[in-house]
Amino acid sequence: MTQLPYAIDAETPLSQAELDVLRAQYEKEDVMVGVQTKFNYAWGLVKSNVRADQHLGVMLLSEIFRTSPERRRECLYYLALGNYKLGNYAQARKYNDLLLENEPGNLQATNLQTLIDDKVAKEGLMGVAIVSGVAVAAGVIGGILLRNLGRKR
Amino acid sequence: MASDDSLPTLKVLLIGPSGAGKSALLTRYCDDEFDPESSTATIGIDFKIKKLSVRGKAYRLTLFDTAGQERFRTLSTSFYRGAHGVLLVYDVSSRASFLTIDRWFDEAEANTVQGVALHLVGAKLDKAETGREVSYEEGQALADAHGALFCEASAKTRENVRKPFCDIVNQIVSTPGLLSGVNAGGRTSGTVAVVAFPFFCFVFLSL
Repeated sequence: MTQLPYAIDAETPLSQAELDVLRAQYEKEDVMVGVQTKFNYAWGLVKSNVRADQHLGVMLLSEIFRTSPERRRECLYYLALGNYKLGNYAQARKYNDLLLENEPGNLQATNLQTLIDDKVAKEGLMGVAIVSGVAVAAGVIGGILLRNLGRKR
Repeated sequence: MASDDSLPTLKVLLIGPSGAGKSALLTRYCDDEFDPESSTATIGIDFKIKKLSVRGKAYRLTLFDTAGQERFRTLSTSFYRGAHGVLLVYDVSSRASFLTIDRWFDEAEANTVQGVALHLVGAKLDKAETGREVSYEEGQALADAHGALFCEASAKTRENVRKPFCDIVNQIVSTPGLLSGVNAGGRTSGTVAVVAFPFFCFVFLSL
């Protein structure tokens, strides 16, 4: 079995205290929030293991992507990473592909692509397993019901 | 894979100015690859694992390749958590990159435990013959001033690429209390495989 690459930012959530520091700075700057502060908070949110945090992180990154063209490459990477963690693999692929289009030699993006492909493949197999499992169960139950019906007649 | 996880884990960070060659050094050391065409700035942080033996004992070396760009530095304190060693990398063909190293030493010293292993690396040694802007002696002197190890290396020619990694691990394991004093934290993976397993069992058993 070949080992999967790592997306270390996806697997190392900040401590609550660290995330609180980033959030406090973000809230302090309020409507005048600087792009660095906003990005830092979004980054911390995407790293989190809490889905609501990841959602908010992706939302903030989308905003930064629109307003700050100079931040696009890191936004694309973390948008891909955030959507990957949320299980939105089509979205994750879309952002990662955009990054790879501009930087075909980017190893972080190449690694993330491998991770996304692997997850899609695994969850696809799991889907097949669930569907076949349900089908088999339905078949067995259906068979029993039919047999019972037959006996009654 | 399972046996690797049980090895003592060392955490080493690569830091230094943008474009110094941190990722190139790491990719050469871990994968023995070097691509002169691809030089994309690291986004946030990257990560590699390498198994190596020092003094007949095997270790799992986790290497954190940090972005040198200023925009990621405000995030950097979290990267240092649990670090046993720090490799500080500059470019021997760039005076400007060397001049930033004092600041990188400050950051490393401020965010790590007492006794952490520090190693200064002058990268791009292949450029030294025609474009050296920092002498070996200057590098050595700066390293000495911070109690750090020192060497020059080239990811392009492979010269000395293993040396900083081996030497810093040697330093870490020979510093009393460093390995036990720092909590490096663990990683988890493979949850999807575990979840999928019962479904497969069910399907195969029912067929």
